[in-house]
Amino acid sequence: MISLPVLLGVLLIGFLLLQVVPTDPATVVAGPTATRAEVEAIRQQMGLDRPLWVQFAGYLGRVLQLDLGRSMISNRPVVDEIALTFWPTVELMLACLIWAVPLGISLGTLAARRRGTTVDRAIMALSVMGVSVPVFWVGLLLIQYVGGAGLLPFQGRNGPIWTADGLLSIILPAVTLGAVFVGPVARMTRTSLLETLGADYVRTARAKGASDWRVTIRHALRNAMIPVVTLVGLQIGFLLGGSVVTETMFAWPGVGRMAVGAITSSDFPLAQGAILILAVGFMAVNLIVDVLYAYLDPRIARS
Amino acid sequence: MTDAALSVQSSADQRAIAALRRKNAVWRRILKDPPAAAATIFLFLIVAAAILAPWIAPFDPYSNNMRLRLCPIGGARCPDYLLGADNQGRDMLSRILFGLRATLGMGVTAVAIGGGLGALIGLSAAYFKRLDQPLMRLIDVLLSFPSILFGLAIAAVLGTGLGSLVIALSIAAVPSIARIARGAAQSIMQQEYMEAGRAVGLGDTALIWRYLALNCWPTILIYMTLQLGQAILLGAALSFLGLGAQPPTAELGSMAADGRKFLSIAPHVSTIPCAAIFLVVLTFNVLGDALRDALDPKLRQ
Repeated sequence: MISLPVLLGVLLIGFLLLQVVPTDPATVVAGPTATRAEVEAIRQQMGLDRPLWVQFAGYLGRVLQLDLGRSMISNRPVVDEIALTFWPTVELMLACLIWAVPLGISLGTLAARRRGTTVDRAIMALSVMGVSVPVFWVGLLLIQYVGGAGLLPFQGRNGPIWTADGLLSIILPAVTLGAVFVGPVARMTRTSLLETLGADYVRTARAKGASDWRVTIRHALRNAMIPVVTLVGLQIGFLLGGSVVTETMFAWPGVGRMAVGAITSSDFPLAQGAILILAVGFMAVNLIVDVLYAYLDPRIARS
Repeated sequence: MTDAALSVQSSADQRAIAALRRKNAVWRRILKDPPAAAATIFLFLIVAAAILAPWIAPFDPYSNNMRLRLCPIGGARCPDYLLGADNQGRDMLSRILFGLRATLGMGVTAVAIGGGLGALIGLSAAYFKRLDQPLMRLIDVLLSFPSILFGLAIAAVLGTGLGSLVIALSIAAVPSIARIARGAAQSIMQQEYMEAGRAVGLGDTALIWRYLALNCWPTILIYMTLQLGQAILLGAALSFLGLGAQPPTAELGSMAADGRKFLSIAPHVSTIPCAAIFLVVLTFNVLGDALRDALDPKLRQ
C-alpha cells in the first residue's frame, strides 16, 4: 500500500509547504545587514529564482542524495542533525512499545475472557480513560510526583539505553508515552478476540478437549492479533504525536523535539527535514506491519 | 493493509444507517447505559458552560492581580476565586470557562470545516466513478501523514496561532471522514431510488444533494462527533507545544503549558486545565463508544 506515489506525494507536500513560507529564505540566510544585491545573489545561488517544478526536481535529486540542506541556525547539514536525533526517538518508541503492547494485549485478553464481569468493565473503563488523557498531563504528573521526589531523572537523555544512566533516564518518558498506548491496544485485542472466540475453529478446538486458556492463546489469540498489528501500525502516527510532546517535555533529544524547536525558531530546512524523516519513518513502520501481517496470516502471503 | 479495516468500517456504516431509522430506540439504549447517560448530561453542561462563559464567568479572565499570584484553591488570599489564581493572579475558574470556549470552538470549527471538505470528497468519489481512484489516492497520501505532522508543518508555514491550529486540525479531519463518507455513499449508490432519480431525468447536482447527501449525512455527522474528541486532544497538544493558541489567550492546552513552570509550587495552575481537557475528551469518547454500540446491532448481543 505504501508505494512510490504516496512517497512522492509526501515529498511534494513537504516541498510545497516551504514554498508558501511568508519569510523569504534568501533574506533570512543573507542576514539583516545584507544589501538588496547580496540577497539577490543568494537567491540565485540557492536556485530560488527558477520555476517551481525545476526547484522540485532539484529538491528530489538532493533528497535522493541525502542532501537536505543546512540548518539556518547551526549551519550544520540537516542530515547530520537528523542522524543525531533519529536514534533517541527510535529508542523512546521501542521503550514505549516494549511494555505497552504486551500489557495492552494481556489486559485485552483478560477482558475478553471475563466478558461482562467487573474485571472487563474496569479494564474497558481504564482503556477509554487512557485514550482520553492528554499525554502531557501524564508527563506532568510523573514529573511532579516521581521526578520532583528525586526518584528518577526527568531532564534529557543521560546516555544510550544500554547504559545504566541512559536506562534510568528513559523510564519516565517511556512510561508517559506508553500510558496513552495501552488503552487502544487492550480495546482492539478484546474486540478482535471476542470475534475469533466465536469462530468455528475455536469451537472445534474446544470440542477436541483443549483447555480454555489453551484455546484462547493458541487458537484464538494468534488470529486476533491481525487487526491488533494493523492498529499498532496505524497508531504509530498517533504515537509520533505523543512522542513529539513527550520529547519536548522531558528534553529528550529526538526528532520531534528538534522539529518543534526548528519551527519556533523559523529554521525552515531543519523543520522540513525533520517533518520528512518523521513521515518516511512512519511509512517504513507501515511497511514492516505489512510484512508482519503476512507472517501472522499466511493466507495474505499466498494471495 | 487498511482495506480489510475499511470493509469492516463500511459494513458497520451500513448497519449504522439502518439503525438510524430506529433513532428513538438508539436514544433509549444510550440513556439506559449509566456511563453514556452521564456523558450525555455532562456534554450538555460543557457546551452550555462554553457558550455562556462570558455571562457566567465570575471574573474577567484577563484581569490580573499580582497580589493574588499563584493563590491555591481555597487560599486565604483569594476567597472569591473558587479554583485559585494563576501565575498572573487571574481567576482560574473564569479562565477555565473561557478556555473551554476556545478549545471547544477550535475543535468544532476544525471538524466542521475538515469534515465538510472530507464529506464532499467522499461523496464525489462515490458518485463520479472516474474521480474515485485519484481522490482516494490523495486521501491515502493525507492519511499516511500523521496528524501531528500537519500541525507541525502548518505552524512552520503560517506561523503559530489559533488560526494555523484550526487549519491543521481541519486537514487532519479530512481523510478519515472522506473514507467514511465514501463508504456510506457507495452503499446508497446501489439503492434503487438512485437509479429511479436518474431515470426521471434529475441532474448530477440534484442527485448528489437531494438523494446522496441527504441519506448519508447522519452517518457522517455521527462520525464527525466521534472525531471531536481526537481533534480537541490534538489541538490541546499542539497548543501545549506552543504551536497553537498563544498567551495570554485562555485556551486549555496553552494554560496547561503556562502552569508547567510552577508545577512544584502551584500544581493547580496546570492540573486544572489538564483535568478539564481530559474530562471533555472522555465525555466525547464515552458517548462515541455508546453511540457506536447502539448503532451496531452486531455488537449488541
